[in-house]
Amino acid sequence: MNEAEESVAAETPVAQRPGRFNGELVGAVLLAALGVYLLVDAGAIAIPGSSNTVGPRFFPYAVGGLSVATGALLALRVLRGDRGPADDGEDVDPDAPTDWRAVAVISVAFVAHALLINVVGWPLAVALMFAAVATTLQGRLTPQAAVRPFLVGLTVGCVVWVVFVKALNVALPGGVVLEFLTSWF
Amino acid sequence: MAIADLLGGFADALTPVNLLFALLGVLLGTAVGVLPGIGPAMTVALLLPATYVLEPTSALIMFAGIYYGGMYGGSTTSILLNTPGESASIMTALEGNKMAKAGRGSAALATAAIGSFVAGTIATLLLALVAPTLVQVAINVTTADYFALAVLAFVAVASVLGSSPLRGLAALCLGLYLGLVGTDVLSGQERFTLGIPQLSDGIDVVVVAVALFAVGEALYVASRLRKGSVQVIDHKGSWMTRDDWRRSWKPWLRGTAYGFPFGVMPAGGAEIPTFLSYATEKKLTKHPEEFGHGAIEGVAGPEAANNASAAGVLVPLLTLGIPTSATAAIILAAFQGYGIQPGPTLLTTEGPLVWALIASLFIGNAMLLVLNLPLVGLWVKLLRIPRPYLYAGILTFASLGSFAVNADPLDLVILLALGLLGFAMRRFGWPVAPAVIGLILGPIAETNLRRALAISDGDLSVLVDSWFSRVVLALALLALVGPVVLRAVRGRRATPAEVDQAQEEDREVQKAANREGWGA
Repeated sequence: MNEAEESVAAETPVAQRPGRFNGELVGAVLLAALGVYLLVDAGAIAIPGSSNTVGPRFFPYAVGGLSVATGALLALRVLRGDRGPADDGEDVDPDAPTDWRAVAVISVAFVAHALLINVVGWPLAVALMFAAVATTLQGRLTPQAAVRPFLVGLTVGCVVWVVFVKALNVALPGGVVLEFLTSWF
Repeated sequence: MAIADLLGGFADALTPVNLLFALLGVLLGTAVGVLPGIGPAMTVALLLPATYVLEPTSALIMFAGIYYGGMYGGSTTSILLNTPGESASIMTALEGNKMAKAGRGSAALATAAIGSFVAGTIATLLLALVAPTLVQVAINVTTADYFALAVLAFVAVASVLGSSPLRGLAALCLGLYLGLVGTDVLSGQERFTLGIPQLSDGIDVVVVAVALFAVGEALYVASRLRKGSVQVIDHKGSWMTRDDWRRSWKPWLRGTAYGFPFGVMPAGGAEIPTFLSYATEKKLTKHPEEFGHGAIEGVAGPEAANNASAAGVLVPLLTLGIPTSATAAIILAAFQGYGIQPGPTLLTTEGPLVWALIASLFIGNAMLLVLNLPLVGLWVKLLRIPRPYLYAGILTFASLGSFAVNADPLDLVILLALGLLGFAMRRFGWPVAPAVIGLILGPIAETNLRRALAISDGDLSVLVDSWFSRVVLALALLALVGPVVLRAVRGRRATPAEVDQAQEEDREVQKAANREGWGA
């Protein structure tokens, strides 16, 4: 989302802006597209010779048809101005503009931690993700502000790792240092 | 018969080790359930990995504690936090929050806790009595009947939950699609796996549930985080007075009477009974002037209904293998994880296990009553956790739960992708529960449909062959068409402009409420 849209978003609550292009339309169209994909790709499912009347293609066809119909009807409803109310929550401010930066940072941090787990171990990977998420949500993005979240995240990661790996025998890479330090367990 | 089995269950559940697991489950369930933004379904999904390594009996006993603990924790949150939370607790929050502000927070917490205990105990007893009888009936249920039941559950969940039936159906379609990915059970063919070998086993239910509930919620809250310090209302005043008891006991029982049957029926869990209970208490009360300003009946009734329905949901789950709420779908996945398939044969094949589970529901319920009121100060501290740490922590545990299933980083990428889907669904008002139910119930529906048609040699009339399936399918049709017809009869739908205006008015009310809340 570019800055011009951000500034519009700041003035009016997101879900109730009349006449504005609505993201749900994309959702509805994507659902219909998913249905088309199911209908097309279901034809490619191999049917073993022993199979009788209703084989592995039937249910995909049914789900595909339902998805196309639902997606199309929903797109129509959205075009006619019907809006689904955005979800409520204890910590959700319904009047706040959407903070796309937070969503982006969390997504990137999460993917990065997924790729780092097998390299530096789960506790450190999770600590870095924790620090990135918490620092972003605090709204202060300075290196000093990230120190505390990182230490909290590292503590949580290490404690959880010790509990789950050493006490509950869950398989979770710990990283060289932690695995060396706890090898006497 | 049932009583003897139940006593056997108690004998299994009352060993020191299993009591310890029950206690652990209750504590974990309450602690996680109390955290804002975390409902019972997310509590159960996030804590599932903690039970992986245990043997099935201990795991299910711990799970029972987590399930009831999560329900208890949620009511504490809705009473002491000044913002709307999960839908089944909205009715509790309405009056409970006002009571807390008026300095009667302790009484509100007490009537919620004792009401939950009363309702939970009665409803669990009903579960123990009804389950063996229902199994007798269910043993004669054909594959076509099963398919009909699954269809009813789909339609009910999609049309009851969320802002509109169409959005519920959209969510259901997503779940059904996710359920299709993987290897077809009956023919062994791979479907929609995109050539990715990890997908041939299907998408793990735990990954989907954690993604849609935990990651989706974290992303959504992050996009609209309420700024400023956390407002937790002090729990002041005495516990329940004599008068409070007199005003509470009838709502507890009436709430139970609403909650249990609605939990048993595939009607989307606790929302309708809590609403009905609130409306009933408002009508029957001798203190109508207190409603809207903190009437104790308005906390006692809905909270009892909420817990009774949680026990009721276990009836179709244990006897038919049909989940009727998102939480039940996750419990079903947990059963399957231990290699157990709930259904009519469950009570005979795994009898001791099921009775130990039911017995530990009683035990967990009693533990919650004893623990909850004295420990309320601890739970209040959890409510004050700084939100940046809370949501970073939720993502940490989401990572743990999903990675622990297969130790595959790809699962975490899928987790994020589905989490973004959950984020979008929350923005558009698509309910999440139908997706989870579609995912777990879709394959069950497909298998039964194909088995039925295989037996009948492709003759579709087999689907309406028995009276049972005819009635159930008629109910499903009614649930699907009913709302549409009702709207047509009542007259034309409001135009978008009118809807906008109504929403505008809602916003004003909301803003006023917020201002008042933050000022207090």
